[in-house]
Amino acid sequence: MKVLHGIPAAPGLANGPAFVLRPAPPVDLAEQRATDAQAEVARLEQAIAQAITLLETLQTRTSGALAEILAAQREMLDDPELKQGAGKLISAGASAEAAITQVATAYAQQLARLADPYLAARADDVKEAGRRIVAELRGSTSLLALDRPAILVAQDLSLAELVELEPQFLLGIVTETGSPTGHLAIVAQGLDIPAVVGLVDALDRIAMDATLIIDGSEGSVTLDPGAEQCAEVERRIAQAKSEQHALEAYRDQPGQTADGIRIEVFANVGSLAEARKARAQGAEGVGLLRTELLAVQGLPAEEVQYKLYTEIGATLQRPLIVRTFDIGGDKPVPGLEIPAEANPFLGWRGIRLGLDRPTEIFLPQIRALLRAAIQHDIRIMLPMISTPAEVEQARALIAQAAQELEKAGHALRPVPLGIMVETPAAALTLDQFTGLIDFASIGTNDLTQYTYAVDRTNARVRERAQPLGLAILRLIERAGQSGIPLAVCGQLAADPAAVPLLVGLGVRELSIAPARIPAVKQLLSTMTLGEMQTRAQAAIAASTWQEPT
Amino acid sequence: MENTVERTVVVGSKSGLHARPAAIFVQNAKSFQSQITLGKNERTANGKSILSVLALGAEKGDQVVLTISGGDAETALTKLVRLLEGDLG
Repeated sequence: MKVLHGIPAAPGLANGPAFVLRPAPPVDLAEQRATDAQAEVARLEQAIAQAITLLETLQTRTSGALAEILAAQREMLDDPELKQGAGKLISAGASAEAAITQVATAYAQQLARLADPYLAARADDVKEAGRRIVAELRGSTSLLALDRPAILVAQDLSLAELVELEPQFLLGIVTETGSPTGHLAIVAQGLDIPAVVGLVDALDRIAMDATLIIDGSEGSVTLDPGAEQCAEVERRIAQAKSEQHALEAYRDQPGQTADGIRIEVFANVGSLAEARKARAQGAEGVGLLRTELLAVQGLPAEEVQYKLYTEIGATLQRPLIVRTFDIGGDKPVPGLEIPAEANPFLGWRGIRLGLDRPTEIFLPQIRALLRAAIQHDIRIMLPMISTPAEVEQARALIAQAAQELEKAGHALRPVPLGIMVETPAAALTLDQFTGLIDFASIGTNDLTQYTYAVDRTNARVRERAQPLGLAILRLIERAGQSGIPLAVCGQLAADPAAVPLLVGLGVRELSIAPARIPAVKQLLSTMTLGEMQTRAQAAIAASTWQEPT
Repeated sequence: MENTVERTVVVGSKSGLHARPAAIFVQNAKSFQSQITLGKNERTANGKSILSVLALGAEKGDQVVLTISGGDAETALTKLVRLLEGDLG
């Protein structure tokens, strides 16, 4: 037995066999075939057929925009030009692996040159199709081969891989890289799957099918645990399940304090699957739809976006707050040219990018949202705002889009507009936005990072930021005094220590990971608003700040 | 008997020949025996290959030339012109 330590990323316990996903070594493009050309072509054709079967299995698990992209990828695997091109290279002596990689790369380069960003993003699909075929040729493991309950151990998981995961087989996740506030942590929390990230050398230390216990709250991974320990963990998992069961009574109740003050409990989601989960967990709405998660394969076209927002709105039948694309140097989008920056967190991102490149990024999304809002309660939220002037500019663009749509015969409804409060500038001057916006939502992860000047992805300094520090509490208090309806949509909103302080400072909507909704509703019901206000004021008045226990 | 037909079509799909519309077109093209090519400006694409259709980069309103030769060319032309002119999503 051996205990390894990583960074806790999503709470919960799991025990089970490891499924180790090793990164594929690069293909040697000069590799020569070992057999005769005819046999090599037969190998290639067999690999393509297997890749198609796997992709078809995956297609049945998805819907919406992702399913459409997979349909195109499946068509690429079966492409006659791809096969012919690879066949010619094989005749000239190349191995099937080298041939298919070269042809796929050539097509990817051709697509990447197209002016349309969505089409250019298909370049990644071609490369992905090539990789899938190579994986079959080599008989290597693919995420798609995860067909039994297991704890996934990987170097890192890309967003594209995360959406491929089959939650029913996924007991837990362990990765070598990653941060507690990264995409992986957010998705794992949303799906209620324990995760440990930043476990250095995990791939070297953990073998395929080794028995593991992972504790996502502690960030620990126990390798080859004894029978006694396994029994103990199983007992604790069963106990957690029964506690979850007890919370179910709160699931379908409205969020409110012990004295009946309404606090709306909304969900943060990034996909249709998460929206379904939010609804099932009793979310009173979606307080944050992260649309950049819908753009992992490239910015979707207006029509694709329109369908997706409509689909999510129809699933929810409740308020849906959509944050416009929050992309930038740290959140790259395939097919979208964004220059590398020395300081991406302080750079050309969020609304700054949207306002500067409206035709490409902002306007198609706004048109899709305004159209989807005819049928559903959709509200628009702007990311990374620091001044009222940015909102004025955005409003002008939204008015322009609305006018065009109305001219084209659409009977639009007024759509509420809000902002993310992620910069200290926005928090300190929120009252100046009165009349320009209908609501504001504090993104605590970014607000903490900008307030303490601490890069949250940098392990050396990460600990220096205090998510519940006095500086943050004062900023939230100031924002709460603006009179603008205030929400919190960062991870802090689900933290039991933070919830009473946030509500006590004037927050009236909490937007959290779907799995946490019943527990937060239960917590709200245990205190009156007055008690929460007293606690918040005590925290702010304390000259030496200590975390409440 | 070898039969070649040609027609200039304006792309009707709202998002141009993007991933899904291109996939639908190619799936339909494959159901015919005839050779099918799509041309835009100087470039031509194999109508049964999604990669070459995507690489054309055809947008809504673009003119493309559909050339079909083979036994079922007439039937294929009727079907594929209707697809290209309509909204494939």
